[in-house]
Amino acid sequence: MSDIVEIRSLSKQFGRRRAVDQLDLTVGQGEIFGLVGPNGAGKTTTLLMLVTLLRPDHGEIKVSGFSVAREPRAVRAVIGFIPDVFGLYGNLTVAEYLDFFGACYGIASEQRRRLIGELLELVSISHRREDMVDTLSRGLQQRLALARVLMHDPQVLVLDEPASGLDPRARVEIRQLLIAIAKRGKTIIFSSHVLADVAELCSRVGILEQGRLVACGTLDQLNRQAAPHRFVRIELMQGANASDSQQLLASVPAVSHIRLKKEEAGADRIIFEVEFQGNEAALNQMLVRLLEKGLPIVHFGEVAQTLEDVFMQSTQGIVS
Amino acid sequence: MLRVPGSLEKTIEKRMAWKRTLQRFNNPVILKEIRSWMRTSQAFAVLTVYLIVISLIVFIVYQVTLASTSNPASDPNFRQTVGKAIFGTVVILELLLAALIGPALTSGAVSSERERRTFDLLRTTTLSARSFVLGKLGAALLYLILLIVAAMPIESIAFLLGGVGLAEILISSLMMIVCALFFCSLGLFFSSFMRRTLGSTVGAYVVIVLSVILLVVAFVLIFMNPNLCDARSAANDLPCQKTLIVIVWILASTNPLLAAGISESMLTQSQNAIMATMPLGSNLSVSLPLPWIPLVGLYIILSVFMIWASIHFVSRPDQ
Repeated sequence: MSDIVEIRSLSKQFGRRRAVDQLDLTVGQGEIFGLVGPNGAGKTTTLLMLVTLLRPDHGEIKVSGFSVAREPRAVRAVIGFIPDVFGLYGNLTVAEYLDFFGACYGIASEQRRRLIGELLELVSISHRREDMVDTLSRGLQQRLALARVLMHDPQVLVLDEPASGLDPRARVEIRQLLIAIAKRGKTIIFSSHVLADVAELCSRVGILEQGRLVACGTLDQLNRQAAPHRFVRIELMQGANASDSQQLLASVPAVSHIRLKKEEAGADRIIFEVEFQGNEAALNQMLVRLLEKGLPIVHFGEVAQTLEDVFMQSTQGIVS
Repeated sequence: MLRVPGSLEKTIEKRMAWKRTLQRFNNPVILKEIRSWMRTSQAFAVLTVYLIVISLIVFIVYQVTLASTSNPASDPNFRQTVGKAIFGTVVILELLLAALIGPALTSGAVSSERERRTFDLLRTTTLSARSFVLGKLGAALLYLILLIVAAMPIESIAFLLGGVGLAEILISSLMMIVCALFFCSLGLFFSSFMRRTLGSTVGAYVVIVLSVILLVVAFVLIFMNPNLCDARSAANDLPCQKTLIVIVWILASTNPLLAAGISESMLTQSQNAIMATMPLGSNLSVSLPLPWIPLVGLYIILSVFMIWASIHFVSRPDQ
């Protein structure tokens, strides 16, 4: 997969504050790339530089081979941008709004007419075609924004907090729309605070903190990067002796850390979370050994790290 | 397969080429602005108030002119006098319209896009800064032209009564267009580099108050004083008068109201639309172009500069 977005040594400073610090990042064609980080991490600044709205202090950005600094018009022709907060032209109808932006991209009027119909169908707001834009709810406005950025058929969509301010249903609908758009071959780069959306949608994730990329890769890669060890959850029946069970677990060579999860224990369970270094075979041997020793196991399973876990382990929580 | 005849194919090709040429001049910002503006109540309120005000003032001018003649029926020049008065009134009011409403239409052109957070959406399209700025200017000028055309029935009363020549009509039309362009460009210029509409509106109107209104007031207070050159002896009268004429000419050439009034007065006296000769006494005279000429030239140059600067400010990415 070739890289459609290349960011090299990107830096941006506002006064004494370094918003983006020597950022290196690439996004492959057709990827859905998520950019996460605490507030002030530099996500929005990075996206603004990518879409030609902000001039970097150092470094270079290329989109589809075009340099953002030297060929901004060519870059704008291949990207579509939705900022986190955006206004609308309330005195235009939905169709007129799309027609205007289509005309801004130099699309001929007959082609615009056809595209407006298709895109309104795609984002499911055809029934509001003749309504004024300012009568739309926030969720419908976001869908309209998606239709707007697709008018000129860009290769890359850049979305800053696309789920911001949306109710849960609208978030799900936007997520489904983004999946549908990605299936059309578009590359999507978006920043979000909603880690569940990022985890569900993205093929790769970049974690920013204080302007630096602290982690980047697929979810599996991030999991291994943040926590090279595996976590196993073991639930025992209430009758078992907690300290004896803990000693038994400690005797297993591949176990490096044991935590009794008192906060989760119910009346009929004792729960341990065990840090384990080993492969599948070693994990299986551990289970067999514990059962042979008579441990009353009711649940034995590996705990999958969520993106939230990775995020918390990768960042220090420093808000700029 | 159906074969299109050669002549029809050529016609279709010509039409497609013509359509492509027209589309190059098609500015989406003009259509969007006009649509948005004409769907507000302000567009019609401004038009209505403007027509009521202009009608009232013209009526008052007519009554005053009527009252100043003892027997209008027997005065052969009465109709022409009234016609000239009405024409002059409408021209002055329309110049004031351009000065007061023009900046109001454009001082929020760019800054309001920033405030509404639609500016970034536009800047990430392939719409050029030039098209954006010219679109905003074009939409404002179209609305001003609408106001001017709407007042034409009132202005046409002057043509019916007579006393207004072709030169006056052409000069006043040119002045109105150039002044509309200048004042709209002024608002646009301030809007392009100020972040807030309030700031750009204040900036534009400060310039207008100083250069249009206060200058007229100063002119009336200072140069209408008949004793201005009397304090000097007869031997010094000439340089004083010469200096006075040049200063008056410079001031009039930078102010549309003074330029219109003085040009009309000189045109009536000398019947020359380009040059005026002013006697200084002792068989001396000085020839100067009528003030409307340098005013039009100055306003065109300043408008071009302000439009260029606006495009430059709009095209810059944020630092």
